[in-house]
Amino acid sequence: MTDRTESSEPAAIAVPDLSRRRFVAGVGGLAATSLVAGPALAQAQAREAPALAQAVAANQLPPLAQRLPQSPLVVTPVERVGQYGGTLRRGLRGSQDHNGILRMVGNQGLVRWNLEFTDVLPNVAERWEVNQNATEFTFHLRQGMKWSDGKPFTADDVVFVYEDCLANSELYRSPPALYVVNGRFVEVTKINDHTVRFKFAGPYGMFLTQLATPLGQHPTLFQKEYCKQFHPKYNAAGLPALMRAASVNSWGDLFRAKCGDIEIPTRWGNPEKPTIDPWVIADPYAGGATRVTMRRNAYFWQVDTEGKQLPYIDAINFSIAQDVESLMLDVISGRIDIQERHIDTLQNKPTVAQNAQRGNYRLFETINAGSQQVTIYPNLCHKDPTVRAILNNRDFRVALSIAINRQEIIDIVYLGQSEPWQLGPRPTHPWYHERLARQHTEHNPREANAILDRLGYTRRNAQRIRLRPDGQPLFFAVDVIPTLNPDQVDTLELVKRHWAEIGVDMKVNTIERALYYTRGDNNDHDFAVWFGPGGLEPLIDARDWVCMHPQGSRFGIPWAMWYASGGREGQEPPDNQKRRMQLYDQARETTDVRRQGDLMKQILDLAAESFDCFGPCLAPNLFGIASNRLRNVPARMPYAWSWPHPGPSMPQQFFFTS
Amino acid sequence: MLGFIVKRLMWMIPSLFVVSFLAFVLIQLPPGDYVTTYIATLAASNEIVDQTAAADLRARFGLDQPFIVQYAMWVTGIVTRGDFGLSFEWQQPVSGLIWERMAFTLLVTGSTLLLTWALAFPIGVYSAVRQYSIGDYFFTFLGFLGLAIPSFLLALVMMYIAVVEFGQEVGGLFSDRFVNAPWSWAKVEDLLKHLWVPVVILATNGTASLIRIMRANMLDELHRPYVTTARAKGLSEFRLLVKYPCRLAINPFISTIGWLLPNLISGALIVGVVLSLPTAGPLLLQALMAQDMYLAGAFILLMCGLTLIGTLISDILLALVDPRIRLE
Repeated sequence: MTDRTESSEPAAIAVPDLSRRRFVAGVGGLAATSLVAGPALAQAQAREAPALAQAVAANQLPPLAQRLPQSPLVVTPVERVGQYGGTLRRGLRGSQDHNGILRMVGNQGLVRWNLEFTDVLPNVAERWEVNQNATEFTFHLRQGMKWSDGKPFTADDVVFVYEDCLANSELYRSPPALYVVNGRFVEVTKINDHTVRFKFAGPYGMFLTQLATPLGQHPTLFQKEYCKQFHPKYNAAGLPALMRAASVNSWGDLFRAKCGDIEIPTRWGNPEKPTIDPWVIADPYAGGATRVTMRRNAYFWQVDTEGKQLPYIDAINFSIAQDVESLMLDVISGRIDIQERHIDTLQNKPTVAQNAQRGNYRLFETINAGSQQVTIYPNLCHKDPTVRAILNNRDFRVALSIAINRQEIIDIVYLGQSEPWQLGPRPTHPWYHERLARQHTEHNPREANAILDRLGYTRRNAQRIRLRPDGQPLFFAVDVIPTLNPDQVDTLELVKRHWAEIGVDMKVNTIERALYYTRGDNNDHDFAVWFGPGGLEPLIDARDWVCMHPQGSRFGIPWAMWYASGGREGQEPPDNQKRRMQLYDQARETTDVRRQGDLMKQILDLAAESFDCFGPCLAPNLFGIASNRLRNVPARMPYAWSWPHPGPSMPQQFFFTS
Repeated sequence: MLGFIVKRLMWMIPSLFVVSFLAFVLIQLPPGDYVTTYIATLAASNEIVDQTAAADLRARFGLDQPFIVQYAMWVTGIVTRGDFGLSFEWQQPVSGLIWERMAFTLLVTGSTLLLTWALAFPIGVYSAVRQYSIGDYFFTFLGFLGLAIPSFLLALVMMYIAVVEFGQEVGGLFSDRFVNAPWSWAKVEDLLKHLWVPVVILATNGTASLIRIMRANMLDELHRPYVTTARAKGLSEFRLLVKYPCRLAINPFISTIGWLLPNLISGALIVGVVLSLPTAGPLLLQALMAQDMYLAGAFILLMCGLTLIGTLISDILLALVDPRIRLE
C-alpha cells in the first residue's frame, strides 16, 4: 500500500520501504517538501520575474496569485534561492535530437524522480492512493493549476489523453505497452475536476515508477481544449480544412504534427501548443532550423522555498550544430552554459577538462546508470545447431570470459576509470549481486585453455586456432556499431587478441546500425555487443538478466519474443530462463519493495548460475559541463534515460549569478 | 534552335522518371528503414522507443508496403498534386522544407560563382600571357594549393583560428540575435558579415581549377595564326586579347553553369555541415542518414532536374557565344 500525501505530516511522506533504496552516495539532497504553512501564506510571499511583473502591471497578464495553483509544488534549491534573469545556452544536433529538449524541459509528468533516482515524488499530482493489490491508482491534481495559455489543467485533460487519444486505434494503432496489463488497456475515470483514477486489469506495482520515466508522461501531454480541434470526435466538420492547410492526408498525421507525442520532433515544433513545462517553445525545432529558443512559462506551477515562481532563467537558446565537433568547439570556448549530451565521452574528457578555465566552466559528474560497458552477447539461440551447442556450454563461455585481460582493456580504452565487472546492479545499489557481478572476471588464459582442452577442442589448424568437432575452425563474428560507441570497437580489438591466445578466432564485425538491428531481429548474429543497462534500474531494464527485451536481450532474441508475445511467437526458453521470467512478472506486479528485492535476488541467482553473457568492465561515470555563472546544478547526478538527465535535477531552479 | 530546345525538353521527361526511380532504389538500398534508424539513434543515447509505437510508426509511414507500391504512391503524389510527400522526421510537407533552404543555397553559390569568375578570369589570362614569369609561378603555386586543400579542412582550420585566436563567432549565416528576426537592413548587413567566410572557402577550390583551365585554353589560342594576323594588323595587345583568344577560351566558364545548378545542393555539402550553414546540403545529408525517404528523394530529384536544366542552359549559351558549335 503506497499512500503518500503532501501534507505537513512527515510520517505521511516517508515510506519506509522506499527509503532503503536511497543508495547513490554523495548526491546532494533535492526534495520537494510540503507546504508547511498552507497555500495562503505561499501566495502572499510569491514573487515573479520582473518582465512578468511588468506585464501584470500593464494588465496583460493576471496577477501571480491567479496564475499559480492553490498549492504549487515547492522545490528546494540545490544550493540556494536564486535570482531571475538570463538565457541558458545549450547545444542540439540538427536531426533526431528532440529528446535533447525533452531532457531539459519536458519531464513534467504526474510524478517525478528524486535526485537520487531511488524514489517517486509528487509532481503534477500532489498526492495519490493505491489500492491493496495495486490495480487502482487515484491521483489528486493541483487545484487551480494552469496550462501555459492560462487555461486550467483538470482531470478532463487526463481523461482526454486516454479515452480519445491513446485508446483510439486511428491515432495509436495499439496503445503504449506501459498502460496495458493482462492485454487490457487501462481505464481512466474522472472522479472530480482534480481527481482521476487509473484502473488496471491486474496488479501493476511498477506503474508509479513507469510514470516517472519520460515514456510515462502521457497524462500531462495534451491539452483537451487545444488538441480536440484536431480530433474527429470533437471537430469532424472542421478537420478537412485544417488537413488541407497543413498538407497532410489523415487526421492522425495532423494531430501528431500539431500536438506531437512524447518522443517525436513535432512535440517541439508547434509554438501554439499549450504545455505545462517551465519554458515553452518560441522558435520551433523544425526541419532545417538553425536554433531553437524557449521562453518562460508565465503559468508555471512550481515555486522555490521563498515562494518565488520558477523558473529563474528567462529563456533557453539551443544552438543547432550539424556535427559534434563544432559543438565541442562551442563548449571549450565557453559559448555553452550546460552540456553533457553528445560531448560526454571519456575521449573528450581531457580536452574539456583542460579548457575549463578558459571557457569559464566546471565539470559535474554523471553517475552511469548502466551496468556493463560492453556486454558481449553469445547467441544462445543460434540458427546453426553446431554453433548453438558450442555456445550453450557454460564452461565454454567461462573460458571466453577468463581469457579476457580486463585490466588491460580498462587501462587502454577506459583510461583506468573502471573496474573488472560482469553484470547486475552496480556496487552502490542495494540489490548488488556479488556473484553475478564478479564471477569469472580474473584473467586466467591457462585455465581457459585447460577448459577448452577438456571440452575436446584439442585439434588446431595451422594458425593455432582450435577446431570444432566438425573440423571447422572456432570462429565467431561479433557485431558492433562503430559510429555509436567507438570504444566498443577498441575493446573488441583487444578481446580478439585475448581470444587468439586461447585458440579462438574472432572477427570484429563493424556494421552500420540499421544492419545491426536487422541481423538481431532475424537472429543472424554469432555474437553482438551493446551497452549493458540496468545498473541503477535493474527492474526497469532487466534485459541482461531476464530475456525480456525482444530487441535488446541479444543472447536469446527468440526467447524474448516468446516472452513478449505470451508464448505465441519465438522459441520456448529453457527452464532456468522461464523461471526468471515468472519471477520478473511477479516483481513487476508488486508494490512492496522488499518483496521486489527478494524476487530480484532469486532472478540474479539464476542469472549468475546460467552465466548467459559477460563483459569486461563496469560502465564508467561520465561528466557534463556547467558555466561557472550557472548555479544550483548538482555536483553529481545519474546518467540515464529513465531518469532523463539533467531534467530531474530541475533546470527550472538553475540560475545565473550576476 | 527552337526545335532543339523542345526536343531536349521532351527528353527530360523519361530521364526524370528513370532518375527518380534510381533515386528511390538507392535510398531504399541500405538495410532497415526510417524507423530502424530512429530506434538506433535514440538507443545511442540509451533512449528507448515503445515497441508498439515503433510498429505503429512503420505502418503509418507505409514502410510495411512493398517497395514498388511506395514508389508508385510517391510519384503519383508528385505528378497529380505536386505533393512530394511528408518528411517522416519533421511531419512537415517536404516542399516546405526544401524551398526554405534553396534561397540561401542560391545566395551562397551565386556569390561564390561571381567571386570565382572575378578571380579566375583575369588571373588565368595573366598566367597565360606571362607564361613562366614569377607572377605565373606564384599563381600556379597558389592554384595547386587551393586544389589540394579540401574545402572542409580549410573551413575547420579557419573556424578554429577564428574561435581560439580571435574569440570570434563563425558558422551560420547570421548572428544569434538576427537568426529568426524579420528582414531589415541590419539583418542584411549581418548576413554580409557572415557570408564572406563560406564564399571565400568555397571559391578557393573552384578558382584554382578554373585558373588552370583558363590558362591552358589561352595558351592554346595564343599561338594560333589568327592572333599573329591580328597582331600584324597592328591591333593593340589588350584589345586583341579580349576580342579574340579570350572569347574562345571562355567556353569552360559557360560549361560551369551546367554543373553549377546541381552544385547548389550537393557541392557545398561538407562545408555547409562544418559551418552550420542553413543551406540545402546539411538537410540532405541528415535526410539520407535518417533514411527520411521522401525528403531525401525530393532533394535528389530536384538535383537531377537542375542538372538537366543546367546542361540545357549551358548548351544554348555555348551556341550563342561560340558560332562554331552546332546544335545538331
